[in-house]
Amino acid sequence: MRIKILRVIIIGLFVLVAFYLGYLQLIRGPYFYSLSKNNHIRVVSLEGQRGRILDRYGALLADNRKVFEVVVIPGELKDREGLFDFLSQTLQVEKEKLLETYNQKMYASFAPVVVREDITRTQAIVIEENKFRFPGLLVQEDYRRFYPYKDTAAHLLGYVGKISRSKIEELKNYGYNPQSVIGYSGVEEFYDRYLKGEEGGMQIEINSRGEQVRLLGLKEPVKGQDVTLTIDLRIQQALTELLGNQRGVIIVMTLDSGEILGVASSPSYDPNIFVPKTNLSTSLPFSDSGSPLLNRAISGQYPPGSIFKISVALCALKEGRINPHRTFHCNGYYKLGEREFRCTHAHGDQDLIQAIAHSCNVYFYHLGLMVGPELMEKYARLLGLGALSSVDLPYEARGSIPNPRDRKIGYPKTWYQGDTLNLSIGQGEMLTTPLQLVQMMATLAQNGKRVRPHVVKSIGGLEVSQSPYQMISVDQKSLRPLQQGLEAVVSDDSGTGHVLAIPGLLTAGKTGTAQAGEGRSPHAWFVGYSSSGKNRIAFVVFLEHGGASQNACRVARDLLMRLKEKDIL
Amino acid sequence: MHRHLQKIIWSAVLMIMGIGLLALYSATYGNVRVTQEVFYDQSLCALVGVGLMFILSRVDYRKFFDAAYIFYGLNVLLLLGVLAAGRYAMGAKRWMELGAFSFQPSELMKLALILALGRYFSNRRPSLSFNLRSRVGVVWGDLVCPFLMAALPMALVFKQPDLGTAFLIFGVFLVILFASGLEYRYLVWFMILCVSAVPVIWYFLKGYQKMRLLVFLNPNIDPLGAGYTIIQSKIAVGSGGLFGKGWLAGTQNQLNFLPERHTDFIFSVIGEEWGLVGTIVTIGCFFILAHSGLNIAQNQKDRFGMLVTAGIVAILTLQVVVNVGMVMGLFPVVGITLPLISYGRSSFMVFVLMVGFLLNLSKRRTVF
Repeated sequence: MRIKILRVIIIGLFVLVAFYLGYLQLIRGPYFYSLSKNNHIRVVSLEGQRGRILDRYGALLADNRKVFEVVVIPGELKDREGLFDFLSQTLQVEKEKLLETYNQKMYASFAPVVVREDITRTQAIVIEENKFRFPGLLVQEDYRRFYPYKDTAAHLLGYVGKISRSKIEELKNYGYNPQSVIGYSGVEEFYDRYLKGEEGGMQIEINSRGEQVRLLGLKEPVKGQDVTLTIDLRIQQALTELLGNQRGVIIVMTLDSGEILGVASSPSYDPNIFVPKTNLSTSLPFSDSGSPLLNRAISGQYPPGSIFKISVALCALKEGRINPHRTFHCNGYYKLGEREFRCTHAHGDQDLIQAIAHSCNVYFYHLGLMVGPELMEKYARLLGLGALSSVDLPYEARGSIPNPRDRKIGYPKTWYQGDTLNLSIGQGEMLTTPLQLVQMMATLAQNGKRVRPHVVKSIGGLEVSQSPYQMISVDQKSLRPLQQGLEAVVSDDSGTGHVLAIPGLLTAGKTGTAQAGEGRSPHAWFVGYSSSGKNRIAFVVFLEHGGASQNACRVARDLLMRLKEKDIL
Repeated sequence: MHRHLQKIIWSAVLMIMGIGLLALYSATYGNVRVTQEVFYDQSLCALVGVGLMFILSRVDYRKFFDAAYIFYGLNVLLLLGVLAAGRYAMGAKRWMELGAFSFQPSELMKLALILALGRYFSNRRPSLSFNLRSRVGVVWGDLVCPFLMAALPMALVFKQPDLGTAFLIFGVFLVILFASGLEYRYLVWFMILCVSAVPVIWYFLKGYQKMRLLVFLNPNIDPLGAGYTIIQSKIAVGSGGLFGKGWLAGTQNQLNFLPERHTDFIFSVIGEEWGLVGTIVTIGCFFILAHSGLNIAQNQKDRFGMLVTAGIVAILTLQVVVNVGMVMGLFPVVGITLPLISYGRSSFMVFVLMVGFLLNLSKRRTVF
């Protein structure tokens, strides 16, 4: 009897066990299967090498330099203290610092941790020789972005760094992960998706200690594409030298295609300092009062000063308010009500061409009052001011053109006659970028053919197709007197840019001295175009708080001389 | 009838040993911590074991009756010896060195206690009288005396410490008490007494034993320590599915995610590599063994034989259920082997002896 009861109990126990096995292996089976898979399969990403950046003749502006890194694999580490003592001694770095880096970056026992990058070859050899003493220690080769010309083209190239948190959110669907390196500003940012290597990866099987057991799959990373710029390194270097310590911008662009041959913004910075994965000194350029990170050529917005007079002249001609021979008398000022609006000096009777050549304010006060602010704005926009030039660089600014319409929603609500006068000589609230002015000048020189300025010539050996040029609706009859005026600026003995008269070059352009606030030196401008038998270029020289426009003219003259020396013009 | 039963027992045991050796081969295959020598060692044990079972099945089992108390006494001495001069391993003193061999007296104690209790109760019929005097005699003779017989080795094993085996010894004692026909009310009283003793036992538990019990209740409180084993073995068994990942192809096993997989957790290897089919076949073989044992017990005319058989069936069932339950995360990790499958000479040979005993009894039935 008791045995029978025992039998019932035992059958019950076995049935219970069998049912629970069925539950665990059949019903929960798929769940546990996925758990076991996560347990032993890891995916390790391999970053592809970044594409290089070259100038138009193939000089390397951004390269990848081979560096040695000290790597520790946490899972294989045995003698932690001994290893870090040894590393500290070999690398001449404090042990605490190495340990701190190691602890911060370690995230899985199988994932190698870079404790020190860019060690010397000698150090690498010493570590290699002692490797056997410390399991888990490795010297690894890696490629590091390297800008051989340092600050020469920093704004143009940009720099690379680890992807920021906000960017990952934005780009995670496009093959970026938290370990990705991404371009910041300049070509590095704008063409990041071409430069960026295609990420590869290894699927590895690991054991319970996180050690790699075998390779299950490998996708080789693909190198990013090389980007060839329109930049000529010789010109770029010349521009940087010409600016020196002076804050400012020089841009040189071919007239007919819009290829930018050189663009320098000063002060500059060395993009190499952003590259290391662990660096403390990178805050330096951010705190500098000169804003070295700002690319003044496209993001800096400044009043154009007298350069805007060209737009006003075009407006008056095209609208039929004047003909080129119309004269106004300048006695040194223009009286509006009680206020006197000044000219540089009394020019006497001036026709349009003389007025441009001498940059006579009074003449343009008259034109401004004749056409009014609305029409001035219309022609400014026609010439591309107040709008993006669509250059292939990030963070381009629009500038702004003041007008009575915007005033109504702003301050001081009313548009005064004085505002019209100010606008007609490019002062006041008018803001432009240096690049916009170059584009405007190129359009005038090319009889209304507007090209898109750009810095990239080809990607991965394939020519980048440029959007076809636009013709702005301006007739020859209105343009010709303008061009004559611009030529007179240089060729006329009394022209404001006469220093630019260089034998063998046909140069035209416009000077500008823009008020830059009470008590501060004005900005100095020269925007123009120049042609020789070989080449036709448009260029701008802008000196921030550089004083009178004569200063810009002298720099422009040096520029043209250098280009001629280097056989570019 | 008996020949038929014997064949069934033989085939179930050989099947279990076969499964065990295959699983052990896989568990040690490419294992960094345990070499495959373990597998060859167990193979040798199995060969010796088969011979031993064959001999045991032909010996007059009355000799076991005669030797029961001496065997028990010697075993108690061995347990004392282990506590005094045993080999320390894995935080416990369980091993006795005998020349080149080492073995665990606690394993042998299971059999010794079954034999001793079997002999004790074979001479007693539970009293049915109702006067007070005889009732005291019943309580003393039927309950307290045998309890002391079980409590002495239990305490010694507990001291090693080996909580699992102590628990098993207690379980066997209860089952034999039950099989001997003790009145239910005494059983119930006794059980109430035991339950009220639980807090006292908790006080005597070692820290790691308390931890194991707590982790059993919630494995996630210590996922990398004590809970790790439970979580990993559960993953291993569950991920096996219906047909398993194939012999030598279990990732949990081959990649060292399973600790102790050649001993206490070998069932997780079976579960992972052979799936539900493998686990049910294994459990089925054990069930056939237990079932045959109960058939033998039921047909025994001899009380000693009946009680010993019941004890053997009890210990076999308890070990299988607790071990498999432990691997599946149903029981705490208490260090109980899976009979004839887990690696371990002492445990293996003790079960060889037990099965030999079953074979012997299935034969002798007709003598009486």
